[in-house]
Amino acid sequence: MPILRVLSVVFTLLAASASGAGAIGESRLKIMASNYPLAYFAERLAGPWATVTLPVPVDVDPAYWQPDVKAVGTMQKADLILLNGADYEKWLVHVALPRLKRVDTSAGFRDRLIRIENAVVHSHGPAGQHSHEGIAFTTWLDFDQAAQQADAVAKALIARRPELKTAVLEALKALQAGLADLDGELKRITSARPGLPLLASHPVYQYLARRYGLNLKTVHWEPGEMPPATEWTGLDKTLAQHPAKTMLWEAQPSPAVSDKLSTKGVTSVVFDPCANRPASGDFLAIMKQNIENLKTPFQR
Amino acid sequence: MRHDFYLAWRHLRHHRIRTLILVLCLSLIGALPLGLHRMLEAGEYWMTRRAEATPLLVGARGSSVDLTLGALYFSEAGVPTIRMQEADRVTATGWADGLPLYARHRVQGQPLVGVTLDYFDFRGLAPAQGELPAILGDCVLGAEAAEHLGLGPGDTLASSSENAFDLAGTYPLKLHVTGVLAKAHSPDDNAVFVDLHTAWVIEGLGHGHVDPQAAPTLTESPFGPVAARGADMGLLTYTEITPENLASFHFHGDPATYPISAVIALPHDTRAATLLRGRYLDEKSETEIVRPLDVTRSLLQNVFRVGALFDGILLLVGAIALFLVALVFSLSLRLRQREIETIYLLGCARLTVARLLFAEILLIGLFAAAVCAAVLAAAAPYASDLARHFILS
Repeated sequence: MPILRVLSVVFTLLAASASGAGAIGESRLKIMASNYPLAYFAERLAGPWATVTLPVPVDVDPAYWQPDVKAVGTMQKADLILLNGADYEKWLVHVALPRLKRVDTSAGFRDRLIRIENAVVHSHGPAGQHSHEGIAFTTWLDFDQAAQQADAVAKALIARRPELKTAVLEALKALQAGLADLDGELKRITSARPGLPLLASHPVYQYLARRYGLNLKTVHWEPGEMPPATEWTGLDKTLAQHPAKTMLWEAQPSPAVSDKLSTKGVTSVVFDPCANRPASGDFLAIMKQNIENLKTPFQR
Repeated sequence: MRHDFYLAWRHLRHHRIRTLILVLCLSLIGALPLGLHRMLEAGEYWMTRRAEATPLLVGARGSSVDLTLGALYFSEAGVPTIRMQEADRVTATGWADGLPLYARHRVQGQPLVGVTLDYFDFRGLAPAQGELPAILGDCVLGAEAAEHLGLGPGDTLASSSENAFDLAGTYPLKLHVTGVLAKAHSPDDNAVFVDLHTAWVIEGLGHGHVDPQAAPTLTESPFGPVAARGADMGLLTYTEITPENLASFHFHGDPATYPISAVIALPHDTRAATLLRGRYLDEKSETEIVRPLDVTRSLLQNVFRVGALFDGILLLVGAIALFLVALVFSLSLRLRQREIETIYLLGCARLTVARLLFAEILLIGLFAAAVCAAVLAAAAPYASDLARHFILS
């Protein structure tokens, strides 16, 4: 008799778990993210209860991606559209998306966003001259801000699925702990040599520089392209004022560029913003590698 | 009794014109008040249903009736605009979701309504053909608008130019029809829906740029040669948004300040609705919050007052008409004096004459009732349209 009871309990539990799994499968949240960091946060927080899609092709920088009609149609059908904000999704004004499904993950620190100086000035007929103001958008390179963005993702998930609150909050705690570790580690490294002159190949490190006190000057170079002579001349002038020994790159620069920089005493270091899904590893792994790469110049 | 009706029928057939006039008079006397009531009932049902489905409306302080009619029925009564930030303000409270709506323009007589895609979910609108708008310049048509305009997915539609005499104004925008909505039996059927950003492009708040080499050559004006700065040469307000020029479109200024006509507020519960309404109690505020159901009911009360007045007038007219019918019958009895005497000479009782007259009146009444029912049945499908026309226009 007790055996029968035990068996009935086991069967009941098996049936319940099977139906539960079915329910999860049927009601999985469809989440769209505009860049990889947000997709990673959503995957970490929602776990098996969501299908997270990053609609941007792997070889395209999400910041300069323009969705086609098909991509917009897919986004319209999503339950949640995670946006970076900070002027990252310039395509947003060109498409029709449900407003109530959109989540601006950087809205919580909107007042602390960095405005890009020297914006292009032009005029429109009788309206006179004005500028298109730009905002630095790689917000997640400040790991404290990244944690706030993860928090915004968690809140949106809980609002959609209150029953997942406990699981999401637990996952958020773990994710924010990971981000806090990165934040602490980077702060510890950069505090060793405050004010160390550094160069950046592209203006994408504004929040990284602000959070971790980097003394950074930026050029406009692409990793795969040899800069023209005028750029090298400009670099020489910059180095005279700002004797940097390290240049941060979004990706490994071509050997020709790297070698030419070496002749000027500048070492190339990769600090990948990881805006799109990496070929291997995940967001935290890439950021750990970035921090590892940054250790060398600060330990010299 | 069967013979009475036979004789009455033969008599009515013999005097066709007189019978026809009597039947028409009596049927109209019946049809007018009944039709009016049916129209008012249809209007009440139609308006109340729409208002009940819209919990709260935020708009410019002033006429709550104009605000409600504009946001719910897309009436042509111009309401002052409010800023887009009002929608954010509603959502930011955490008590309600704000759905912005911009229903100021018209396109070929149909209301052009700027919304976000949430509006379609909220109203339960889905495309019967094609898709919802996806990119700037797309539009989706209500079922009746599509029928009226004779358009479907893949067609184009030019927005009306609002500023014919404004030299710096915008050109009409060529809209791409992406779909036709399933019939909803609501004002949405008559609308042409665009995304809010498209509505703002039509408004002139957004524009695109072209390569200066592709800019049109300036002709000489009657006042002398036209001088243009290089920057202006490269500026063109597009009449059509295509995949090629889509990326060049942009907006200036803070989108929070862009115009909308109303915000449909969807409170999460009754408490949230009360708290939200409390936020708009300040008389000095530029915006107000209204319950469309309250506004609609007060509007309908006025309509019903007018209806009651009509009832009184129709009752009076009906009584006069009935007196006239009675007069016609009494006069016809005098004219039929010889006929009645013949009936007596044939041996019929006085009651027979009364029965014959009763049969005639009954037959006329039945014919009038049939005509009345036919008129009401024919007018029934148009009751809502008539109500819309007379109550909302």
